[in-house]
Amino acid sequence: MGSEGFYQEFEVFSKRSDTAPMQYQFSLLAPNEEMALVMAQENFMRREPVADIWVVKRSNIRKMTREEKESLYRLDNKDYRNTKGYGYLKKKWRHYEQGMLDEKEIMSWGGKRNHDQHD
Amino acid sequence: MNEKVSSQQITDDGQYQRFIERIQAGEKIEADDWMPEEYRKTLIKLISMHGISEIMGALPEKEWVPKAPTLRRKLGIMAKVQDEMGHGQLLLRVAEDLMKPYGKNRENIMEDLFSGDLKFHNVFHMEAPTWGDAGLIGWLVDGAAIISQTNMLDASYGPYARALKRICAEEVFHAQHGESIIMALAEGTPEQRAMIQDSINRWWDALLMFFGPSDASTTGTSKQDITIKYGIRTKTNEELRQDFFTKYIPRMLSLGLKLPDDTMYFDTDQQKWIYQQPDWSQFKEIIKNNGPKSKDRLRLRKISYETNEWVRDALSKEIS
Amino acid sequence: MTNTTNEINPSDSKNSPNALHELLFQLADDDFILAYRGSEWLGLAPFIEEDVAFSSISQDTMGHATMFYQLLEGVVAINANDLAHSRPLTERRNAILLEKVNGPGHYLVEPRYDWAFTVVRNYFYVTAKKVKMDALKKGSYKPLAEAAVKVNLELYYHILHWKTWFTQLLKAGGEARTRMIAAIEKVAEDMDGVFNLGLCEKEMVESGFIESEHSLKQQWLRLMNPILDELKVTLPPFAMKSGNGRAGEHTKDLEDALSTLKEVYELDPSAIW
Repeated sequence: MGSEGFYQEFEVFSKRSDTAPMQYQFSLLAPNEEMALVMAQENFMRREPVADIWVVKRSNIRKMTREEKESLYRLDNKDYRNTKGYGYLKKKWRHYEQGMLDEKEIMSWGGKRNHDQHD
Repeated sequence: MNEKVSSQQITDDGQYQRFIERIQAGEKIEADDWMPEEYRKTLIKLISMHGISEIMGALPEKEWVPKAPTLRRKLGIMAKVQDEMGHGQLLLRVAEDLMKPYGKNRENIMEDLFSGDLKFHNVFHMEAPTWGDAGLIGWLVDGAAIISQTNMLDASYGPYARALKRICAEEVFHAQHGESIIMALAEGTPEQRAMIQDSINRWWDALLMFFGPSDASTTGTSKQDITIKYGIRTKTNEELRQDFFTKYIPRMLSLGLKLPDDTMYFDTDQQKWIYQQPDWSQFKEIIKNNGPKSKDRLRLRKISYETNEWVRDALSKEIS
Repeated sequence: MTNTTNEINPSDSKNSPNALHELLFQLADDDFILAYRGSEWLGLAPFIEEDVAFSSISQDTMGHATMFYQLLEGVVAINANDLAHSRPLTERRNAILLEKVNGPGHYLVEPRYDWAFTVVRNYFYVTAKKVKMDALKKGSYKPLAEAAVKVNLELYYHILHWKTWFTQLLKAGGEARTRMIAAIEKVAEDMDGVFNLGLCEKEMVESGFIESEHSLKQQWLRLMNPILDELKVTLPPFAMKSGNGRAGEHTKDLEDALSTLKEVYELDPSAIW
């Protein structure tokens, strides 16, 4: 990749912790990806915790054109994909004297064991 | 190299109309989006000057980095000057992406700086002969910079707005770093107090000039109308200067410092500060690289660029 | 844990107070002067991104110096700032290699700084520092062992950074390799001064503070030889050509640096800055 000269463009991504998602930071110039990696943390994350860093050569990123971005539009008629379309169940379950298993409830189940204090 | 933005784009009224509508709707323009030539050129000029000013702005403070009087001050000012270089990095990346259609990159920015085609901010042409100046730059020059930069946080050009957001977050540290130096001097010995007053006297005109002339009649040119038209900034130079006075004059006075302009007062009817104009012809000379330290600082930058050329040459090739 | 300086028990070091002082001064002065040399580079590095990265390393290193000076505060009852700023040339204990100027010129006037020398000096030094920290971690003086654990955490990045530069510039061949080989020769001439533990070495080792010079140097070679072999670099013999900094011998380079770094401090050493 050398013939492109010293100032090559890299995009920098990082995550704050092991459980955090990768997040875009900024771009930098460096002669190669090893050097880009060595520059990344101190240039963009001097004051925050970092658990991992990716550098990606910009020319390897397939971006959308303005026209392609128009393909991102969609109608707001898809409530069958969301809980919003099933809200009436709450009332139904109440009739059977049961609570609704909504997002809050389901996400709270986690991976923890129910009976931690077994002995 | 040198691929021209096609002239057909510039005359395409449909595109232009859609572009203006997007700005007015508060949408952000991105690097790959269509934009009118005037917008691109205005941004390149503004952001490359802003970026190179951060790089050149590191130099007056850098003089004080090895000399800072305590371990903590040495660390603090090192981190602060590092941030200035870091801000330069962010801004030049934004400018470089805008220049790409013209086949230009960072090398061209440096060459333009050396040739005098790319100007840097008037304050960074001034001398910083004492430790008081290191404090004053952190306190008032950065204070002025915060006022002008926060004014563009909502700029219509997305990459610039995002860079400014990062920069302004760090400027909060800079402001406190400067205040901390100044506070120690203000509460210190008579010599230390004299040091700050001396710095204020020395920097007063440069601070007044910081925001640029209030209109084109002063110096013959002003880009402020175009930047406001395209939603890059909202306030005029004079409004920013007045904001600066309102925020900082009471603080200066509260520390027992004297304003170098003894005619200055706040006019309650007009709700604005009345002050003596600096010599704007001097401003024009300064930004033409004829300020007290213009040549020395350009020379420093140029030497470092030339001395390290072998490093960039070596790594321009593929190495396995 | 966080404030080891207050917990120093003078009896910990009663067997060899001089050896402990000497060791702490060596560690503190080494990091302090090299961080100072790093701070002179600020704004002048080969490219902007590197300016930012290098400055973080200089800050870390100055931070380590501060930790060592703070350990001394408890032992010699002089505050860290005074230790860093006011001690005369002959009391400085840093290795001469670390005080040498970055290259011709002054940081404000015509600085024709030598990046190859900077890369080699820093890479060789930080690897030696790593070996020392590993030894200190196992050492008998607890406050220092605890400091070494902390300092060590920041050395991984420093080593990665300098190793990347070192490897790439040597592999690049041509002018870069010639400059790097010349820099390696220059650094080697005074590299022994970095391992040197001064006149109290015997006591330091007997008190279990640190391992011997010989042992430190062997560990350094074990770490570096595979890398140098891969890069086909023959290491010149190490020496102390410019003198022994541990014995208070120093050059004009340090004299000039001291007058710069204490310029403001000296205006009024009793003032609060």
